Amino acid sequence: MVHYKLIYFNLRGRGELARLVLHHQEVAFEDFRFEREEWPKYKAGTPFGQAPVLEVDGKPLAQSNTIARYLARQHGLAGQNEWEQSQADMYVDCIYDLITGTRPIIYETDKEKQKEILQKFLKETVNPHLEKLEQQLIKNGTGFLVGKSITWADLAYYSFFSPMTERFGDSVIDNSPHLKKLVEHVANIPQIKKYVETRPKTTL
Amino acid sequence: MPGYKLYYFNVRGRGELSRLILHYAGVPFDDFRFEGKDWPAFKSKMPFGQVPVLEVDGEKMLAQSHTIARYLARQHGLAGQNDWEQSQADMYVDCIYDLHGAMRTPTWETDPVKQKELFDKVNQDTIQPHLEKVEQHLVKNGGGHLVGQGLTWADIAYYAYFTTPIMTRLGGEVLTKAPHLKKLIETVGNNPNIQKYVETRPVTSG
Repeated sequence: MVHYKLIYFNLRGRGELARLVLHHQEVAFEDFRFEREEWPKYKAGTPFGQAPVLEVDGKPLAQSNTIARYLARQHGLAGQNEWEQSQADMYVDCIYDLITGTRPIIYETDKEKQKEILQKFLKETVNPHLEKLEQQLIKNGTGFLVGKSITWADLAYYSFFSPMTERFGDSVIDNSPHLKKLVEHVANIPQIKKYVETRPKTTL
Repeated sequence: MPGYKLYYFNVRGRGELSRLILHYAGVPFDDFRFEGKDWPAFKSKMPFGQVPVLEVDGEKMLAQSHTIARYLARQHGLAGQNDWEQSQADMYVDCIYDLHGAMRTPTWETDPVKQKELFDKVNQDTIQPHLEKVEQHLVKNGGGHLVGQGLTWADIAYYAYFTTPIMTRLGGEVLTKAPHLKKLIETVGNNPNIQKYVETRPVTSG
């Protein structure tokens, strides 16, 4: 049995997708979390001075999406064939860009300015993406983003949009009924529900 | 042989990595380029209103620059020899994606003095620390390549993004402290298929 150690801040952030993949597939792993103040202790030991890092029997792998993709492929959550795997990659890349887009919002301390930046982000970036996403979900016709069953792409959309709606309101995905249904479906998966109920409560 | 049509602006930008992979592998494809003014005509046809997009056999479309490049690398033997190597290659390409992302804000700065300051900061805060780590990994890997003992799309990605935009904006000096990476980039550039393509491709600003 391979030993996984996922090293990340005690946050959801860019580490949560890998955790969700492992919990969904019920794969045991060491969920190693540290507080921000402890980061300097670990930074130098990482491949690129960044986290998350996944150690696989001690061998390090960096970059959040690479880690989540590796785990998805190893544990049957990546898609049923090469084309589906690429479709899943494509969706996860979209989410990566959205996460990057939230950073100016999260780091803005002025509440009024934060609201402004958020509205701009929703209007110019999120909503156009969701419009296209709804079309893709309808076209695929199964309720999932790729193929006939859940992949790490569905977990990625849950991982991004669930905190977004918690933080900024349900209106974020009100006009996206298929995505809304998908996010709810993932939230209600027993292993995901159990993990979410018991994981550390963190702001991000 | 599948029919590939790569849709992108007539620039190197985020489309060039896929073009380089296909040229390196000797795989023919329709390198479909359009000018900025023609973009509105294509935008609505694209899965997420963005390019590059790879159309396969005239029917299936794949979006997102690195998803396309990974797909092509895997189809044509440039992704790594096993699951672990494939993930190592993915990791390096993700690093390059982040470096490219860091270059974007300075690129949009219109004041040339401020722009130079911003580029210097990206170099100091992001690029040089990254290069320090990459050099250690290259030395440890021992073969001159980023992953395993042969060329992968990760090597091509470092070639692509260092030649444009990193060295076009920051100059060759950016690699002064990274002799192994410098050699790798030169090696990729000297590949006959790459050289032939680079000599004949449209000359574009970025």
